[in-house]
Amino acid sequence: MGGSRTGQVLLMLAGLIAWAVQFTAIYGVTSTLCGRGWADATLLGMEVVPMTILSATFVTLAATAVALVWSFRSYRQAKRQPVAIVDDFISHAAVLVNGLSIVVILWHGIPAFILPACA
Amino acid sequence: MSCALAVAGCSGVQSALDPAGGDAQRIYWLTVIMTVGGTLIFLLVTGLLLYAIFAAPERRAWLGGRRTIVVGGLAFPIVVLSVLLPYGLTVMRDTDVPTPGALPIEVVGEQYWWRVRYPAEQERGEFLTANELVVPVGRPVFVSVTSADVIHSFWIPNFGGKIDMIPGRINRLNFTAERPGIYRGVCAEFCGDQHARMAFDVIALEPEAFEAWRLEQVKPAREPDLPLLARGRELFRTGGCGSCHAVRGTEANGQFGPDLTHVGSRRTIGAGQFPNNIGTLAGWIANVQHIKPDARMPSYGSLTGEDLRALAGYLESLK
Amino acid sequence: MNAPELPRSFDPGERELPNPLPRPEGEFETLKRAWKPPRGLAFITAVNNTYVGLWYVGTAFLFFILAGILALIMRAQLASPENDLVSHGLYNQLFTMHGTVMMFLFAVPAVEAASVYLLPNMQAARDLPFPRLSAYAFWAYFVGGLVFFGTIFFGLSPDGGWFMYPPLTSTKYSPADNADWWLLGIGFIEISAIAGAIEIIVGVMKTRAVGMTLDKLPVYSWAMLVFAVMIVIGFPAIILGTLLLEMERAFDWPFFIAERGGDPLLWQHLFWFFGHPEVYIIFLPATGMVSMIVPTMAQTPLVGYRLVVLALIATGFLSFGLWVHHMFATGLPKMSLSFFSAASTAVAVPSGIQVFAWIATIASGRMKLTTPSLFVIGFLFIFTLGGLTGVMVAVAPFDWQAHDSYFVVAHLHYVLIGGMVFPLFAAFYYWVPAASKRALSERLGRWVFGLMFLGVNVTFLPMHVTGLIGMPRRVYTYPVGMGWDALNLVSTVGAFMIAAGVAVFLFDLARNFRFTSEDNAGNVWNASTLEWLPNGNYNTRSIPSITSRDPLWDQPNLSKDVEEGRYYLPGTVTGGREALVTSPFDARPQYILQVPGPGWQPVLAAFFTAAFFLLLTVKLVFPSVICGVLAVGCVIWWLWETDPGPVRPPADIGGGIVLPVYATGPVNHSWWAMIVLMVVSGMVFTCLLFSYLFLWLVNPGAWPPQGVRIPDWIWPSLAALLYCACGALIAVASRQLRGSDRRSPRSVPVLVGVALPLVCGASALDLWTQWESGLSPSAHAYGAAVYAITSLQVFFVLTSLTMGAYTIARWLAGRLDSVRRTTFDNTMLFWYYTIGQGLVGLLMVHGFPRLTGGL
Repeated sequence: MGGSRTGQVLLMLAGLIAWAVQFTAIYGVTSTLCGRGWADATLLGMEVVPMTILSATFVTLAATAVALVWSFRSYRQAKRQPVAIVDDFISHAAVLVNGLSIVVILWHGIPAFILPACA
Repeated sequence: MSCALAVAGCSGVQSALDPAGGDAQRIYWLTVIMTVGGTLIFLLVTGLLLYAIFAAPERRAWLGGRRTIVVGGLAFPIVVLSVLLPYGLTVMRDTDVPTPGALPIEVVGEQYWWRVRYPAEQERGEFLTANELVVPVGRPVFVSVTSADVIHSFWIPNFGGKIDMIPGRINRLNFTAERPGIYRGVCAEFCGDQHARMAFDVIALEPEAFEAWRLEQVKPAREPDLPLLARGRELFRTGGCGSCHAVRGTEANGQFGPDLTHVGSRRTIGAGQFPNNIGTLAGWIANVQHIKPDARMPSYGSLTGEDLRALAGYLESLK
Repeated sequence: MNAPELPRSFDPGERELPNPLPRPEGEFETLKRAWKPPRGLAFITAVNNTYVGLWYVGTAFLFFILAGILALIMRAQLASPENDLVSHGLYNQLFTMHGTVMMFLFAVPAVEAASVYLLPNMQAARDLPFPRLSAYAFWAYFVGGLVFFGTIFFGLSPDGGWFMYPPLTSTKYSPADNADWWLLGIGFIEISAIAGAIEIIVGVMKTRAVGMTLDKLPVYSWAMLVFAVMIVIGFPAIILGTLLLEMERAFDWPFFIAERGGDPLLWQHLFWFFGHPEVYIIFLPATGMVSMIVPTMAQTPLVGYRLVVLALIATGFLSFGLWVHHMFATGLPKMSLSFFSAASTAVAVPSGIQVFAWIATIASGRMKLTTPSLFVIGFLFIFTLGGLTGVMVAVAPFDWQAHDSYFVVAHLHYVLIGGMVFPLFAAFYYWVPAASKRALSERLGRWVFGLMFLGVNVTFLPMHVTGLIGMPRRVYTYPVGMGWDALNLVSTVGAFMIAAGVAVFLFDLARNFRFTSEDNAGNVWNASTLEWLPNGNYNTRSIPSITSRDPLWDQPNLSKDVEEGRYYLPGTVTGGREALVTSPFDARPQYILQVPGPGWQPVLAAFFTAAFFLLLTVKLVFPSVICGVLAVGCVIWWLWETDPGPVRPPADIGGGIVLPVYATGPVNHSWWAMIVLMVVSGMVFTCLLFSYLFLWLVNPGAWPPQGVRIPDWIWPSLAALLYCACGALIAVASRQLRGSDRRSPRSVPVLVGVALPLVCGASALDLWTQWESGLSPSAHAYGAAVYAITSLQVFFVLTSLTMGAYTIARWLAGRLDSVRRTTFDNTMLFWYYTIGQGLVGLLMVHGFPRLTGGL
């Protein structure tokens, strides 16, 4: 499953990239809506700011979870191979990075439950 | 460090460790909790480090594996921070919250002083003052801040956090004074030459005393009742002071510098620099550029001693 | 593509040594001759990484001492309330310079310098891939840095704080040249840092010992790789920021002036998007050093290598989500602040991983309490404390109190001194034996450590309290009776203790440091990594093949075999300097890189570059332009000698591996460098687009402002068409230039020649369109933003123009053909980038206001 080297590196950084996407999305949307006083906007009966945060969190979390499972499988596979040490290393690093990313992405979703949208 | 905090936690007019309002209190407890927690973690980490160095090899062997990293460096911080983060966010939610019926005050930061405006409320008229914030105990205060020139930051440690004063933006800060007393605020963002000398007094009064003060402030300036003071007023007029300073009830209506209508009632002059009396007022007028170099006001060193006394006396009489 | 095919069976370590003994007569002598630095005055043209690295480290350390002296003057001033040792004006210059010099002239250059010295040796490379670029980066920094520092003696130093917040630093409130010294002086030192970062990225990825696969890369190399990538991502923000502020100061383009639609907060975003990662940019290389020193001192491999690598990468990423925690008090919505709060707490996790990895390593071995060990222990102590206060200030409500108070001064010095200065001193004591005939004194070293460790704690521990009891930062004096007097006096005493420690260190250096590149003190610590192989100006006699992360421990006889020339490339196959280029993941040899030797070009180019910026600062525009032209001339002269082509057929480097001495396409080292440069450019442009959007956000209903007409669609479409056309021309030229027959068709210069006016036409057309519509750059931030995007494009077009003309000149000189085409490839990549940027710029400037409809 190793795939190309570029693919391996992307998989290794998937969680952190997902975090970057989540971060950009939630910060960008909050800043734009609050900055322009559009915070009261609602979508499907929900306030748009917390909804963006939660959906961005959910999507990136799901993506990271997929990457985690994937990297875990390729790690197990790589471990079985006799020589390919680099594959083993990269896929192990991918497991660790994606695992940590899950925690970090979750943390970035917490504010939606605690804070008012734009105060 | 926690002991140091406790020792230093004695009363201070400009101290985050001597909270005099709800927000400051909340942040104070946050500080204490984090300091104690941080100290414990610090002791734990340095303890483990010293143990790793000095314990006998067979006794410290358990520490020398990947498990140490996973438990100490990964699991432990994740657990601690998963608790701290929501706690911090909750404190943030509960701090600096706008309350209906709060007393509005507008403060503009200027190089290197504070323009303070109390807008009209019901039958009470508006007025301007400077370098002094008087607030009633128990009633929430809503301060809107901005800047006339560069970025300043408005900070009264005893009442809570600071808020930047940014040209083109209006920020707000909410707090409630819960203990009468005299406190001190200060500019916390570097704003140029005399950033170090840009402070202000904060006086928390009982509600009745506050109302009384407010009624006094709305009134126009008091007429001089002594010849010396009348001479002072004349000097104020002829010296051109009115082109920068306003004294309500006279023709002086300059907007460039602090409003002096009730300057005599303030505790300090020079943005929280010197106690307010005839001597310091005279010294200030004659020597601004020596005692607060590069402040916007020029020194009026050419006034004779007599004139200076009259002028300072007049200002001092503007209670 | 000339990527060599390798035998499938290639597997280092399982074979016998690649080259037999005895080595041919004269092989070693030729190698030595090739790498000998020039003598006499020309010695300053040396480009060997050991010489340049050492000068670089020395200069950075000089700035540490100078900025430290500034700090001592400040501490003396603050020893008592209402002190008048220095005036407020001088004090403001002192703290601005202390911060600026420590950050820009000491910390970043010091870690970059150390890696110029260490990285090639640690990876058993002969040199960095672009030795002349390191020399250029060093000399530009040396000249520019010294002149910049010299301003303090003339009262011309910047005085708006190292963070340079407008409007305090704008023309209205800082009319004198002081602020320009910061903007231009620092702006170009950042360029020097980026040059170094490109070098480091390519160095780590492409020039390693054979078999040094990613999982065997020294942690230090990992740290430097992350460091360099962070510079590439983070520094463009500050480069753009300084550019915008300088344009505002020079031409009155109101990016930060609120009355005309600008916003001072834009600067803060740009500054801290660089400024916070900067802290980790300084910290990560230091942790890399610690991860090398700890295993040696404990005589055991690092525990948790993979976790440490994870920590480095995660820190690199997360540190870009922290910048607003410097802006917690600016009145942004709490929700926005909370994201940065979360990221700021998250970044504590990777630091925790590293700390516990070192503790575990120490526990699994037996720590010898040498001077480097002491500094590492001191680092762990101080940094842990600084890290914990870091978590405290990450909690926004606490930061509202602590921000801009002495608490933050304490925190940042704990983190930076603990996290960077102590590891650096550990590194000095640890690596001096690799550069000097004698090691430094262990006895004096203990004094240095003791004084510095006590001094740091005595100075900065009390400041936590000073801050919480209300003392703000950056005050030249403070009133009596605030309860700050005693604490400040203690801090002042501590500062002088640190100074005493540094003085003892200087004495130790003077007594024991004797530079050598041939007979160093050797592997005195019994370390495990390759920089301790016997070495000379050529670094190692032959390039080893390694099978372990700790080769000197796990591969017996490695030193002897390397020194005897039994490993790869024991001599020189072209007669000149060479390096072995390896593949980025598996470190398989790919080709032999002909490395340029000493020359005046980089030195002169650096002098003229520095002169260009410095003269511009003092508004001597004409001499400045002359120096700029001379600098470009020197760079072209320097480049002319590069891209030598395949000067000989593929050569045997031993073990049956035959490698070409020239390669093009994606295996080529300069292709990689070009890609990195494009990322840098792309980041500058992204930051500019962000600025544009930010200004839109703060200007509701005025984008464009009243009375501004957006030009007709037809003109930008035409410009886009021109861009696409010249892109197509370059693509065709590239096709024409293919084949292994070394053809050099006439169509190539013709196509490039036609593309030149097209690309110029496109950007000129857009500039003209805006001008014609009556848009003024100084009336409103809208115009400023539009012209900023357009002018940046003009700059890139002019650069493409120069590169295109240079490519044609190479063809005319017979130095460009279908094999020898690196020059063309680089031009092509840059050209594509310029076209892409131009198209995105057009879309933004003409499309966005239409899309939002003035909202």
